Amino acid sequence: MAESSPAIKAPSPYRRARPGIDWNGYDPGDFYDEIISSPGNARAAARGLVSYTRKMSIKHLLSRQQAADLAIQEMGISFTVYSDGENIDRAWPMDILPRIIPLKEWRVLEKGLVQRQVALNKFIDDIYNKQRILKDKVLPREIIDSSPEFLEQCIGAKPRYGVWSHICGSDLVRDSDGTMYVLEDNLRVPSGVSYMLENRAVSKRVLPQLFEKHFIEPVDDYPSQLFDMLASLSPRPGDQPEIVVMTPGIFNSAYFEHAYLAQRMGAELVEGSDLVVGDDDKVYMRTIRGLERVDVIYRRINDDFLDPEVFRPNSALGTPGLFRAWRKGNVGIANAPGAGVADDKVIYTYVPDVIKYYLDEDPIIPNVPSYLCVDKKHCDHVLKNLETMVVKPANESGGYGMLIGPASTKKQREEFAARIRKNPRNYMAQPALSLSTAPTLCGNSIQPRHLDLRPFILQGKGHYVTAGGLTRVALRKGSLVVNSSQGGGSKDTWIVDTESN
Amino acid sequence: MLSRVAERIYWLARYLERAEDTSRLILVRHNVILDLPRSVQPDWELLLRVLGAREHFADRPGAASEKNIMSFVFSDRDNPSSIMSSLTNARENMRTSREVLPSETWERVNSLYLSVARRANKGLPRASRHSVLNTIVQSTQQISGMLAGTMNHDASYQFLQMGRYLERADMTTRIIDVASEVLDDPDEDVRPYQNVMWVSALQSLSAYQMYRLSVGNNVRPPDALQFLLRSGEFPRALSHCLLQLEAAVKLLPRGKESLKAVQSVHRKVKRTNCAELEGEALEKFLDSIQVRLQGVHEVIEQTWFTPEQ
Repeated sequence: MAESSPAIKAPSPYRRARPGIDWNGYDPGDFYDEIISSPGNARAAARGLVSYTRKMSIKHLLSRQQAADLAIQEMGISFTVYSDGENIDRAWPMDILPRIIPLKEWRVLEKGLVQRQVALNKFIDDIYNKQRILKDKVLPREIIDSSPEFLEQCIGAKPRYGVWSHICGSDLVRDSDGTMYVLEDNLRVPSGVSYMLENRAVSKRVLPQLFEKHFIEPVDDYPSQLFDMLASLSPRPGDQPEIVVMTPGIFNSAYFEHAYLAQRMGAELVEGSDLVVGDDDKVYMRTIRGLERVDVIYRRINDDFLDPEVFRPNSALGTPGLFRAWRKGNVGIANAPGAGVADDKVIYTYVPDVIKYYLDEDPIIPNVPSYLCVDKKHCDHVLKNLETMVVKPANESGGYGMLIGPASTKKQREEFAARIRKNPRNYMAQPALSLSTAPTLCGNSIQPRHLDLRPFILQGKGHYVTAGGLTRVALRKGSLVVNSSQGGGSKDTWIVDTESN
Repeated sequence: MLSRVAERIYWLARYLERAEDTSRLILVRHNVILDLPRSVQPDWELLLRVLGAREHFADRPGAASEKNIMSFVFSDRDNPSSIMSSLTNARENMRTSREVLPSETWERVNSLYLSVARRANKGLPRASRHSVLNTIVQSTQQISGMLAGTMNHDASYQFLQMGRYLERADMTTRIIDVASEVLDDPDEDVRPYQNVMWVSALQSLSAYQMYRLSVGNNVRPPDALQFLLRSGEFPRALSHCLLQLEAAVKLLPRGKESLKAVQSVHRKVKRTNCAELEGEALEKFLDSIQVRLQGVHEVIEQTWFTPEQ
């Protein structure tokens, strides 16, 4: 990166030209860049950011980054990584240069995200009740039968509003032509929203001037929206509901978030051992006053561990009887047990059909073209083109167990091919997208890095979509892996209104 | 509030207080030793005895030198009562109960922890000892102030108060132990230093000025002892701590047993003629108070922290 740009335009004689960031030297190549449209030119929504940084030296920008790192350390924003059987608390990595999306585009994406969640909830409710979609043969029955996330204990359950997945995190990626795709839907216990909120708090601390230059949609509303949504699930409407956040405990990688959300909602943060289900099939928590009734549980613990009476019998993280209390309608659980049935990379490929079937609408946000290895023809195609594909196991999260074709070695591809042949139901593949980039501080310069976006969508009585979401960025050059557990970072995400400027 | 959370808040307060009071304790000793005539061999092991850590120290390698004792009480993570361990535990308790405490205070606790952790391997050399310990005292005072000024004075606050005052009551008796130790064995050379030692103890407890205001007299050992044990007004005096404990317990549900336990300690203090205590009798008295405070802790634990069923 050049250190100075002598006289960009004739500077005012009263102002001394300072060496600022030279955007002409920033080149994302063939990728779609979220900030820069062509060398030296900012996209409309990002003009304020780019002109601001033009007056700033790289040294100055780096000092802001340091201020942000320090703030993150002091605010204790961290995440936990498992490594060699040990848990290490790491400071949350955030790049101070924001990712910017124009409001106009966002309004469309919002609609698309709500459409997806509504359709998926209708789907889950149908699967556990009438199974119309299977009877109408829109979806092959084998896919449900072989899904490890389908819980037969949930058959016949009718959660309030017919909603099973109340909190959904759908990952969006942008291809080189600028199209946004849904990469996957996280319908079980999606995490990351606290980092979205904290990233905003940090950027307000270190880049306050930029907030004067842009109309940025605020994000701080999320905890109240979450609270209202959870309150709408209470079995005792009218009363002040007792809402708790249920965590597996301090060693969980998302514990920071569990505590954060409980704090922001003024809810109790409970562990399984804090709860007890009485003979009346109601849930209580152990307090200094004795037992107190619990109305809604925002659980951040997987189905398996929720209730040793019904699922994993040796789970020490859950509470015996919880499932029974839920089935009797004595407690609201978000997300409902069994919601994961729609959070399966194989089911994902059918989401466009699911939307069409239940809503009679075309999907607003497209799916990434996907190949199911269980289908012989698709499988052959995948095996032949491993080098250009991203192959994922159907039921893993956190970016584990993936093959990224373009970045793989021959040996890795051979190993993966063997695994796919052995258990085709377990794999699906997508062509490796050219993920969009955004300028990111790397060492002493600004370079393009790939990113994705995880917005959070709430559904209870009503709907809510976060303004933006959590942008995750792959900090290694050329890398497509954005997971923080594997060296990814994050950015604040700005939804910017360019029209009221 | 959840029993588990109440327990964590209580321990958060205890560990913060312990870090502060251990810093004060080291400062008393440090100041006394600087004042002693050169002929007197400085006795650093006294710190270990008062902290009940003598055996633990003996189990580890290394001689009982000033340097080793300092790093043992300051930064040794294997020593469960070192300042470093106290701050680690305080931070861990706070980290796991963040949802009920004001987030600014978490930032302060975290940054105090980080600043001590950063210099832990440097030990506590004489040159920086005063400033390092003083910073810890100031930071913990700041945190207490923030908690008092920013959180609801509800049940969780009462657990904070109980933890703080129980720990402080205990540590005040230990600080008195340090201050009175040399007095017990007055050598010809040391006698003139008796009062100096009590002045130093009072100063380390930020009590000197308040003593002058309240007692009006020059510092004499019996008056100082009486003040630190029996004052109801001075916030670090044993009686004051017990009064605060009582007040907190009264505001909580199901506090009857705990109240009885606190009041019985207080009765014992009131019945004793503190000014006349010295030597072995004083040491025995302080020990018995420490044992009774442990008893109060056990009742608190049974009442509020041990889950039912």
